[in-house]
Amino acid sequence: MDKKRNHYPPRLADRFLEFYCLPDRLEQIQGDAYEIFYLDLEEKGLAFARFRFIFHVFSFFKWSNIGFSKFMYLKTNNTVMIRSYFKIGWRNILKQKGTTFISVFGLSCAVGCCIVAYLFIANIWFKGLNQPNKDEIYQLVYTSEEAEGLVTYGTVAEPVSELIPNTLNQVKNQTKVLYEFPLLIQDNESFFQRSIYADPSFMEMFKYRMEFGYPGALKEPDQVILTHQLSEKLFGDMHPLGQELSLVINGEEKLFKVGGVLEDLKDMDMFTFDLIVNFESHPHTITDIPLKDAWSKELWTFIQVEKGADIPRIESELERFTQIQNQVNPEKPYVDMGLIAYPDIIYNVGKIERGVRDFLGIGPQILLGTIGLFILLLAVFNYINLSILMASRRLKEIGVRKVIGSKRSQLVFQFLSENLLICFFAIFLGCLLAGFIFLPGFNEIASKNLQIDLFRDKNIWIFLGSMLLAITLITGLYPATYLSSFKPIGILKGNQKIGSKSVFTSVLLTFQFTLAIISMVAAIAFVQTNYINANRDWGYNSADKIIINVPESKDYVPLKNKLSALSSVVEVSGSQDYVGNWIREEEVEIGDEKYNVNFLDAESNYPELLDLELKQGRMFNPNLISDTQESLLVNQTFLDQLGLEFPLDQTVTIDSANYHVIGVVEDFHTTFFKNEIAPMAIRSSPDSVFNYLTLKMNPGSAEASMQSVKEIWHEIVPLGLFEGKLQTEVFEREIADVNGIAKLISFSATLSVTLALLGLFGLVSLNMTARIKDYCIRKVFGANVEDLSKKLVKRYLLIWGIAAVIGSVFSVIFISSFLDSFFAFHSGVGIIPLGFALFILLGVIITTVASQILKVIKANPSMILKSE
Amino acid sequence: MKGYHLGELEELVLLIVGILDQEAYGVSVAEEIKSQTGRKVNISAIHTVLNRLEEKGFVRSHMGGATEERGGRRKRLFSLSASGRTAINEVKMMRNRLYDQLPPLALDFTNG
Repeated sequence: MDKKRNHYPPRLADRFLEFYCLPDRLEQIQGDAYEIFYLDLEEKGLAFARFRFIFHVFSFFKWSNIGFSKFMYLKTNNTVMIRSYFKIGWRNILKQKGTTFISVFGLSCAVGCCIVAYLFIANIWFKGLNQPNKDEIYQLVYTSEEAEGLVTYGTVAEPVSELIPNTLNQVKNQTKVLYEFPLLIQDNESFFQRSIYADPSFMEMFKYRMEFGYPGALKEPDQVILTHQLSEKLFGDMHPLGQELSLVINGEEKLFKVGGVLEDLKDMDMFTFDLIVNFESHPHTITDIPLKDAWSKELWTFIQVEKGADIPRIESELERFTQIQNQVNPEKPYVDMGLIAYPDIIYNVGKIERGVRDFLGIGPQILLGTIGLFILLLAVFNYINLSILMASRRLKEIGVRKVIGSKRSQLVFQFLSENLLICFFAIFLGCLLAGFIFLPGFNEIASKNLQIDLFRDKNIWIFLGSMLLAITLITGLYPATYLSSFKPIGILKGNQKIGSKSVFTSVLLTFQFTLAIISMVAAIAFVQTNYINANRDWGYNSADKIIINVPESKDYVPLKNKLSALSSVVEVSGSQDYVGNWIREEEVEIGDEKYNVNFLDAESNYPELLDLELKQGRMFNPNLISDTQESLLVNQTFLDQLGLEFPLDQTVTIDSANYHVIGVVEDFHTTFFKNEIAPMAIRSSPDSVFNYLTLKMNPGSAEASMQSVKEIWHEIVPLGLFEGKLQTEVFEREIADVNGIAKLISFSATLSVTLALLGLFGLVSLNMTARIKDYCIRKVFGANVEDLSKKLVKRYLLIWGIAAVIGSVFSVIFISSFLDSFFAFHSGVGIIPLGFALFILLGVIITTVASQILKVIKANPSMILKSE
Repeated sequence: MKGYHLGELEELVLLIVGILDQEAYGVSVAEEIKSQTGRKVNISAIHTVLNRLEEKGFVRSHMGGATEERGGRRKRLFSLSASGRTAINEVKMMRNRLYDQLPPLALDFTNG
């Protein structure tokens, strides 16, 4: 008999039989099927017997036998069961408030961070996809043969748009879009604003919700549509409709009325703009220019096709435009024209020149994504560790349930449903945290306008839903399967060992400590670098200097004369670019070798005015004609990189003119510390006209006299934007950027250390409560505090040690390259950030464990051993 | 004749149940049919017939006799009821009556 027991009927078929069969017929039928199976097994072998069994299962599948008993039985009970799962889960949460708080707090912080990171990334990738017509809109592009191969351009010749209705079929609508940066003047204030010049059909193809007015306002050439932000900035609380403003392009001023205001775009539109203007109002729209000139003007052109239009056919019809273009403008032939679907524009960033989007900003996305992931991992590990430990109090429950007949899958399901409850809370709180704390903070740092838009953005729902599911499964699956795998006999006998000694917990804890170390090192190193850079010598004296822009060359001389007359001004000097900003590059020739160097054209007194430090040779002498015509000052890097020694025995050729190097100045920072110091040559040009004026003021008077400088400037340039700034503030934007990132990283480091600490605290305290009797008995038998604490601390110190090694190695590798992407000048991951990070973590660990040891020391063994 | 109509397989199964006396259940009935008549009948067909016979009241059943081959499951044991035996008798008698009325074989030329 026994040998038959080695084989069993096919499991799946057997299950199927159980599944469909009426309960009161099942025993009889299944018994017979089994009996025949074993008969066949003896006579004809396993394969035949199995086949026959399956055959029988199907032959029993008759109406009179089918009851779907199990199915119906489960269905009626499921709701009750699930309800009681949640009830038990809720009671468990209430019973263990401390640990639940740690889990929920950690998870919700993590969810909050992830939401911010998600919104930031989605904001880049889903930009513009809220447009209802997005699947019908296509952008016209063309490719042409360039020196570096075929290049695709996002712009096409302007007249193409007018020919579209007669040439292309199945096209509903088309619009030209021209991006401009005009000066906006309103109420004596002027700003540069990003403007879109578009056909009125733009507002039909792209749908925007209007706050005031209506989309048709664009049909009037003298009306503009503003964004919510601009309207608020210009008019504040006033009703914007009908208000007047003027736009200046190339010195031409034109008056407009506000015809409409868009609702807040929340940074989710494809185009980044502040106002929309009718295309006809653009000063360049002159109809009677030569045909060739018209065809060489290029701008973005969008078409909206009819539903279900044949795109390849439209693309083939574009051939006509290629022909016209190549006839009219043979010097600049198109190879091909094509269509890019509106939703695909984002994927073509980098492939298309002059496209709508040309920048993705992968770096910040990675940074934020990493932060979100770090925090999430920390929180998830906390939760896994704690939930395993917490379940050790429920081992008896598991045992009893198993004895009564719960299947393992039911237990797993129960644990998962409790998890779901916790994760649901976490997600809910995470949304609140993100919406009210994280996002406003982040928006301020990154000057963004991200918001959680639960009503209109369906992607956020998908994101939150998948977060809920993912976190529930990740945090729940391991504990659930692990706990439900115990044998009931072991549990009820009390043999089951569980808890903090497990390798798994230690591994997770090590990982958490490692993450905490890495994020701390990143933050400390970044802040340290920031601190060092804030005190870095710029290589020149930036105090008491004002830089102002000269918008047009005719204003240069009057501006210079007027400003020189100001009493607080000591000296004035003009320059083509200014130190503290981007400086153009020129090719220099020395002998046969060619190099690209920064090339600064300035008046001869500019180097002295800036207080550049002379190293060798001399500064320009304004009275020497040779100095203003054929002399150069270079910086030290120039000599170092080109391998030269001062004095040079040869001349330097720039643009086929020869120059003598008359002096060498110390290196100075013309751009922010993100960039290396480049080789630089300064030429003094005589009495020419420059783009910028630098004013040297009386000591301490620079800031105070800014206002009077501005007034003088406006007297001479009535239509223009005053861009004066102090020399000390030239890096202001970069410094603000870097400080923002420092804040972000410090925040995430604090959060990750807090989470790791909380996790550790929960672990140690749960461990302690479980074993306090053990410790008390030791105490009674005379163990001193030292022994007890050694026993406890040893394990965590070991984990700290491992994490310290791993964390340091990873930090040195990754954080250095992270710093490299922000600074050319940084202190690297030295002993300070590493030491600080390790020390802080060690301190935190010891404090946490010590607080628990204190509990043992204070505990009165008689009280604890007496209870229960 | 009310209620005593039996199909061919029903009649066969009813007879076998009677023959097996206390040991009639699905598999044993199928085996017995096979050994007595050489016919292979599908087990599910036998179940259907047994159930139908029980509905008609010709057989009675009770659960019992678990064996290891069945994975500890009990058999549904069938036995002939009084009306079942009457039905068999009835069928047999009717068959005999009909048989007796058969004309003699063709070799007998008396009837021309």
